Amino acid sequence: MEVAVRKIGECIERGKVNRTSPYPRDMLGQDGSDELTRQALDSGITAEAILQACNEGMKRIGDKFGRNEVFVPELLMAAKAMNAVMSHLKPYFQTGVVKTKGKFVIGTVAGDLHDIGKNLVAMVVEGNGWEVVDLGVDVKTVKFLEAVNENPDCRVGLSALLTTTMLNMSKTVMGIKSRFPTTPVIVGGAPLTQKVADEMGADGYAPTPQGAVAFLDRGAGR
Amino acid sequence: MTEEQWDILKRTINGELFDPLPVGFIMDSPWLPNWYGVRIIDYFSNDAIWLSANLKAISEFHDAMFLPGFWSEFGMCTEPSAFGARGTFPPDEFPFAHKVIRSPEDIDDLPIPDPATDGLLPFVLNRLRIARQGIEGAGHKIRFAVARGPLNIASYLMGATEFLTLMMTDPDRAAALIKKITTFLKDWLRLQMETFPSIDGIFLLDDLIGFIGVEEFRTFALPYFKELFDSGVSVKFLHNDAPCKVSAPFLPEMGVNLFNMGFDVSLNELKELTEGKVTLVGNIPPRDVLASASPEEVFEKTKELVAALRDRARVVVSCGGGMPPGVRTENIIAFVDAVKASLD
Repeated sequence: MEVAVRKIGECIERGKVNRTSPYPRDMLGQDGSDELTRQALDSGITAEAILQACNEGMKRIGDKFGRNEVFVPELLMAAKAMNAVMSHLKPYFQTGVVKTKGKFVIGTVAGDLHDIGKNLVAMVVEGNGWEVVDLGVDVKTVKFLEAVNENPDCRVGLSALLTTTMLNMSKTVMGIKSRFPTTPVIVGGAPLTQKVADEMGADGYAPTPQGAVAFLDRGAGR
Repeated sequence: MTEEQWDILKRTINGELFDPLPVGFIMDSPWLPNWYGVRIIDYFSNDAIWLSANLKAISEFHDAMFLPGFWSEFGMCTEPSAFGARGTFPPDEFPFAHKVIRSPEDIDDLPIPDPATDGLLPFVLNRLRIARQGIEGAGHKIRFAVARGPLNIASYLMGATEFLTLMMTDPDRAAALIKKITTFLKDWLRLQMETFPSIDGIFLLDDLIGFIGVEEFRTFALPYFKELFDSGVSVKFLHNDAPCKVSAPFLPEMGVNLFNMGFDVSLNELKELTEGKVTLVGNIPPRDVLASASPEEVFEKTKELVAALRDRARVVVSCGGGMPPGVRTENIIAFVDAVKASLD
């Protein structure tokens, strides 16, 4: 049982999604997180144990990313492997057998179509046990407000890649804070710095997906 | 760029030391239309406004080289438009291109555009043709053939997440896409050079190379950049303001002899990574210092940057990246003054 769970964690760390996935090359033809999760659940392993192994796998790949031992493509593959697990675990979340840590609403701000940072954060945050509401790219303030209204206890993450769209980010932070002052808002993206985030009135700034997880896990802003 | 500026740039690339050091900025939209006081859509759509804005900038900041200088473009829509990407042009915001590749299979049928006729590219060239007399009348010339790099274009055509994932899941198709884009880019650069014989430089912008590791860089970037920079021009300029520690050691092999980076790595470290073979254009923080700080702070930070250089050869003092929106005239003057005051 322990071996099966450990293997799932390894698939997350290595980005092995399923048997047909050609990545990574040295695991060609082997079962991935998709098959292994199904098998694990069928054999009676709990969803909590699987989720724990996934979180550990994500942490390992995240740490490697932080040390520049792997790069964005590897992290994206790990997130894909994680998503494959989550598709099997979804029913357990829905029935309350496994509890999420909370809801995280995320989107790239208006005028910005870049999704890579947003997707990375969404995938890693989800892999760490949060329910993610992904609003996509080019998201206007009103759409964020609607999402917060529908998910009153959520945290919000705003992403931007372009310097120009930081202005829209600032407007969105203000919009959320004026209507939902207790909702924590974290911002990130290439043009952002802690100073800029502070000036916007955001509760947090994360330069990496792991930073976003740390912010959420410590209940920052609440 | 004037003859004198071009000569100084080439001699700097050849290792000659100037005192004070040369100053140069990548100057483009949205900084330029904002600074000139026009809407971005007017800057893009009105050739006379575009020329006036550029002429005013070179006149006001005559001590700085503007790289590439008289940059005719439509933001990130420029090259993707030739592939059929829908462009969105908000009146006073940066334009952006929409995806055209919905699934990896679409790559197989993606046509290679003709830069002479496709998308916005004829407008890019025609603007320069119309402006040429005015540019040369001001003592400047069109010096660079300019394009976004192949990975950057791929990320617009397909989506960055999708393209970076494709590198791992279907490397042959990812390479096929880069190859098609490279074929197109070679045609596009050649057309610019044929149209304007004064061109003696190639300028490529690609920040997606900053997100990949060594193995992917060797597979999906290095051979294609080598092809693109394989030309007899004097200046081979690359901009990547995303992380650059992976790609920097490859710059000489890529053919790059002029490099504008972000500000997360020092010029001294980059000199080591490139073995002093590449001229560096950088790198005070563009937003937190050049755009947001006071002129006095810009002056001090710029002096600190120059003073920290262990080797002043092959350096063009600039910011780490392009000129960000909101940089005031006083800050640019303070920057130039600081470099002038930083004599060896």
